[in-house]
Amino acid sequence: MQFQKEVEILAPREKVWQFIWDVDRFIACVPGCKDAKTVEEGKRYSATMTEKVGPFKVEFPTTIEILEREELTRIKAQASGADNKIGSRMKIDLDVHLRESDNKTILSFTAGVDVLGKLAALGHGIIKRKADQVLDEFAQAVKKKLEGEA
Amino acid sequence: MLRRFRLEEPQSVAETSELLGRFGDSAKIYAGGTELLLAMKEGLVQYERLINVKRLGLNQISAENGTVKIGALCTHYELELSPAIQQRLPSLLKLEHNVANVRVRQAGTIGGNLCFAEPHADPGTLLMALGAKMVSETGSAKREIAAEDFFIDAYETSLTAEEVLTEIRVPAPGANARSAYLKFGYLERPSVGVALAFNLNGASVSDVRIAVGCAGPAPKRVAEAEALLDGKSKDEATRNLAQAGTVAGRAAEAISDLHGAQDYKEHIVGVLLKRAFQAAVS
Amino acid sequence: MATALSRHSDGQTIPVSFTLNGRLQEIDVEPHELLLDVVRDRLGLTGAKRSCDVQVCGACTLLVDGRPVSACTTLAFEVRGRSVLTIEGLADNGTLHPLQQAFIEHGGFQCGFCTPGMLLASKALLDENPNPSEEELKHFMHGNLCRCTGYKKIIESIMAAARKMRAK
Repeated sequence: MQFQKEVEILAPREKVWQFIWDVDRFIACVPGCKDAKTVEEGKRYSATMTEKVGPFKVEFPTTIEILEREELTRIKAQASGADNKIGSRMKIDLDVHLRESDNKTILSFTAGVDVLGKLAALGHGIIKRKADQVLDEFAQAVKKKLEGEA
Repeated sequence: MLRRFRLEEPQSVAETSELLGRFGDSAKIYAGGTELLLAMKEGLVQYERLINVKRLGLNQISAENGTVKIGALCTHYELELSPAIQQRLPSLLKLEHNVANVRVRQAGTIGGNLCFAEPHADPGTLLMALGAKMVSETGSAKREIAAEDFFIDAYETSLTAEEVLTEIRVPAPGANARSAYLKFGYLERPSVGVALAFNLNGASVSDVRIAVGCAGPAPKRVAEAEALLDGKSKDEATRNLAQAGTVAGRAAEAISDLHGAQDYKEHIVGVLLKRAFQAAVS
Repeated sequence: MATALSRHSDGQTIPVSFTLNGRLQEIDVEPHELLLDVVRDRLGLTGAKRSCDVQVCGACTLLVDGRPVSACTTLAFEVRGRSVLTIEGLADNGTLHPLQQAFIEHGGFQCGFCTPGMLLASKALLDENPNPSEEELKHFMHGNLCRCTGYKKIIESIMAAARKMRAK
């Protein structure tokens, strides 16, 4: 599943870039994400992603690997996790871009999301919708956090 | 094989509600099991306790003072057999007669169907068009929820964690009332469902209610489509059907999946709406 | 197949007294046991088959109080106080039920895997509606799937049995 999101943030690019690397606050913007930790600064992070669709709950202990980094411009990362209780795996390929426009920063990202295992039984449509919701909320939360402190 | 769980068999709604409150997410209401047991077998959910609600006596059907009252624990089969449903709610009768297969109709309950809120289900869509209200109770409180406020999202209703759905109340349609529910699907569950209800006074169409289900995450009423038919003559309403169908299709929030692409489902909504109207006026 | 022991069930068992093929049975079951497993593995009646395991194919059909259920998706304790009929109980002391006879005479089965379910479901149909139209028959039997016959012979068999049973 491919998603593309873009959000306009009323904050300078440097601030947005710094915010992304402030792992705890950044991860807190992902709905249902908790226990963010730095495993290797700039390279590897971990967190627990939880989601709920009605009675169906998942908890993915997730590892986030930073694959590429272009200062102030771009981050390429991969997040993966498995919920053994429900026999499912999740993988997200994330490509984040920052660019300046007037006095705003445009944060855009593409996310390739794969959900494998039993959870897929819920139906591609439901998962897609949920993933879309989560990414939307995430983008909005980042914007709010950054603008709130401007 | 299922994982082990403890069976609780409360004797009252209050007791049921108390159990739900006490055990939270580790307990689940168990009625016919036609949805729940499947999810448990798949390993998608796990519970330490199942709360059997079939001993609460909630499987009565009655018609009084212009309202048909359906106990939440009535099986689809019991609805098929009910004289009250046969006489007062023929479109619901037809729907219940066509739910899944004969074995699911034997075990599955209407309340369980509504509470599990599987997107690909029939009853919710028609009940919405019929102006039904869901009655939910805890030990100390009771409230009515309009069908359009009952479904929040896929697998999600507006019931709180301790509430038990006890009854579905459907206003008995008057002499001029017409309604129809049509569904389409080629997999085991329906892919698209459209419900239509209105009053036909002579050649005048009024009090139109349109609901679409199965295609999107939850059934919903489509006011914009209703407006194209409401208060119109039969002929004018017929002329507006195509546009109403397009509007309703878009409103369905159809999801592209194995049941069909989004635009395909939207198209089918339009087809079913047209056919439902024609069936209802004839 | 062993299941994980959960401390929460604390060994709860439910006494189930029921009529099985006309005879009284008394067993204790755990809440999570499925009717199909109890019938096949504990009671040795293997006519009912586990096929789709999601209640859509009908190969596990049993009659409970004369009505068809998916044994694969029925908890065993639910038959307490009820009567259960399996395919093994359809013949009467060696005399085949008219439906069984008709399926033989009219070629209503090939591999036979769906057949126990077909016979029980059609018995429930004819007990409820001794003179079904083909439409009514198809509607009732809609949930019993067959991969071999293409259904034509099954329909003919049931209709033939219905005629015989009405003539009695």
